[in-house]
Amino acid sequence: MSAAVTTPARAASGRTASIVSALRRSGWTLSLLGILAVLVAITKAIQPTFGAAGIQGLAISVMPLALASVAQAIAVISRGIDLSVGSMMALTSVVSASLMEDRGEGFAVAVVIGVLVLGLVLGAINGTLIVVTRVPDIVVTLAMLFVWAGCALLVMETPGGASAQWLRGLTLGPLVNEWIPKAAVVMLLVVAIVWIPIRRSRLGLSMYAIGSDPLAAFRSGVSVGRTKILAYALTGLFSAFGGLSLTATTGIATPVPGPYTLMSVAAVVLGGVSLSGGRGGVFGPIVAVVILSLLRTIMTFLNVNTNLATVVQGGILVGVVMVGSLIQLRRKRG
Amino acid sequence: MPRTRTWSGRLALTLVLALLVAACGGGGASTTTAGSESTEAPPATEAETPDTTAAPDTTSGGEATGEGFRIGYSNGGGVGNGFREEQVCTAQAEALASGQVTELITIHRNTDAAGQLSDIRDLIAAGVDAIVFNPNDPEALNPALEEAAAAGIVTVSVDAYVTHEGTYNLYNNQVQYAYLGAKWLFEQLGGEGVVYYMRGLAGHPADSDRHIGFQQALEEYPNIEVVPSIDGVHTGWDPATTTQLINDFIASGQYEGIDGIWTSGMDSQVVDAIADAGLDFVPIVGADLGAFVQQLLDEENYPGLVGAAVTNTAAVGGAGVNLALKLLNGETVETAEDASQPNTVLLDPVLADNVSDEGLATLESWLVDGLDPLWPLGLQIEGWTTYTPEQAIACQGPGA
Repeated sequence: MSAAVTTPARAASGRTASIVSALRRSGWTLSLLGILAVLVAITKAIQPTFGAAGIQGLAISVMPLALASVAQAIAVISRGIDLSVGSMMALTSVVSASLMEDRGEGFAVAVVIGVLVLGLVLGAINGTLIVVTRVPDIVVTLAMLFVWAGCALLVMETPGGASAQWLRGLTLGPLVNEWIPKAAVVMLLVVAIVWIPIRRSRLGLSMYAIGSDPLAAFRSGVSVGRTKILAYALTGLFSAFGGLSLTATTGIATPVPGPYTLMSVAAVVLGGVSLSGGRGGVFGPIVAVVILSLLRTIMTFLNVNTNLATVVQGGILVGVVMVGSLIQLRRKRG
Repeated sequence: MPRTRTWSGRLALTLVLALLVAACGGGGASTTTAGSESTEAPPATEAETPDTTAAPDTTSGGEATGEGFRIGYSNGGGVGNGFREEQVCTAQAEALASGQVTELITIHRNTDAAGQLSDIRDLIAAGVDAIVFNPNDPEALNPALEEAAAAGIVTVSVDAYVTHEGTYNLYNNQVQYAYLGAKWLFEQLGGEGVVYYMRGLAGHPADSDRHIGFQQALEEYPNIEVVPSIDGVHTGWDPATTTQLINDFIASGQYEGIDGIWTSGMDSQVVDAIADAGLDFVPIVGADLGAFVQQLLDEENYPGLVGAAVTNTAAVGGAGVNLALKLLNGETVETAEDASQPNTVLLDPVLADNVSDEGLATLESWLVDGLDPLWPLGLQIEGWTTYTPEQAIACQGPGA
């Protein structure tokens, strides 16, 4: 009798525990989503006309930075950091825009595939240099920031080029319902299709393993060097997606890198990825990017001085990181 | 585990509170101004417009729409650059002086074309009546401008053109800028001699247009020789690069072989380098920047300096706001037929030299007390601005 009662109870408590642990794991992302909901409510309160068009504009404007922050998150999870993300975006963007100019729509498909491969190669070069030379990640990628930015200027001296119409169409307008921006769907699909299978594969596990403790990972048979190179290659791939999104949303390419590298680091930190590696995911940073962008929109509605708006953004970032590390400390003690 | 949960709960709460405080802190300040705008704007109109000439059309336009307009201003680069800062300040001043604007939402930051796209979309979402902007690219902003047009928002591009059909463009006639200065210089040399050609930023539309104007003048004076080549040298509109270029030019002895210098606005650096080298001045053409105009008027420290300044007004920001208001009030605007885009208003430059009495008087009249020496002088444009120079320097918009 008693056994019959306790078994379902145990099963239930086991389920609850797994739900709780799942919630705990994604607790940060959930809190971010909560903040986002509050921000949307504030936006709506300040600007009652903020609606479907506003959401679409927001989705388009977060796209390049969201992809950059996914790229950065992958490097950081593997205990690295990539300061060349913005330069790789500029380089892939100018390559795509210069190749697509005055060419057919079909040719652009080949260009997109080629540019994604280029991104993988650029990232793999970054990773290989780090692994082979054993120079710290931050130094190598800082140097590569200049190399890739210089290459972008060699490809195109001044802003120009063009984007295929179908590529532009991927980011403009809604999908099915006016409240669902195509840009957001495309961005989430790209991230989900590439990242989720990798995250669940041996490679994904290895990336988190070398991020948590490279020595332990090595002793468990993980090839640390190979994993690192692949992680940087993925960072390059998502930078290429980011570069393509720049070409697609503006219809041109700019050889001088935009403010994406440092903003991506900020989004990664705000998105709950530990800078010491091994902890966090890629969806937290995406939500973080939306939050940072919405904050800017709110401050525009309030006509806050733009310089002050930047100060507020930075202040919030520092605050969140401080609270975050406090929690980690508590967890370790508890 | 319970402990952790309470902590993550507290974290979420703290964050939300922090954000609310941050958002409301800004909101509080802005709500009060918004409140005061609605009550104070009409009296402010009466108080401030009597001494400006725009008073008559202000009342007609203002009454037609009931209350004033909200205008958005987007500048996507050059934060800290005198030319861009002055643009934003003249826009603020014009919005205030017109008496028709309740709020000028200003986004003034360094960003790329994608960033400015998002800024313009934010302004559309903010529900403004018009958007005035200095474009980062002639084509990249078109999707957002199309959305603005669909929302019935008037769009005005200043300082450079965009290719969007419905958008008005207002900028300085850069072809004319170069032509005027080059013609003056070639005249000064008696139609014969060697000229050092110091250009701006390679690939920039204004630089390309100025090159066209320079060539046009050159065609009229076949006995003028241009060094180092017909393509000139690019200063990148960067003071350090300019100083390096002119010092190299002097050190290599090439300065001895020239009769004049044409600069694309990097002028006072060239004058200083020649003065530092203790050489005699050749005639120099520059822009209406405070430092250069001061040099032209300063016989004591720059003896023998002959030169001319061509206006390249930064008041395009204020003129853009003025144009937007004209369009909102349904006034007809005269556009230039020879411009590359339809709906273009070209501002013609003015030249003043320190040789003629008339020129000297003009140069003197440009000087404004309290203006940063690296800001261009021509603070007002006849027919396009209504503010006083003091208002531009104060850099305060309506409701501030």
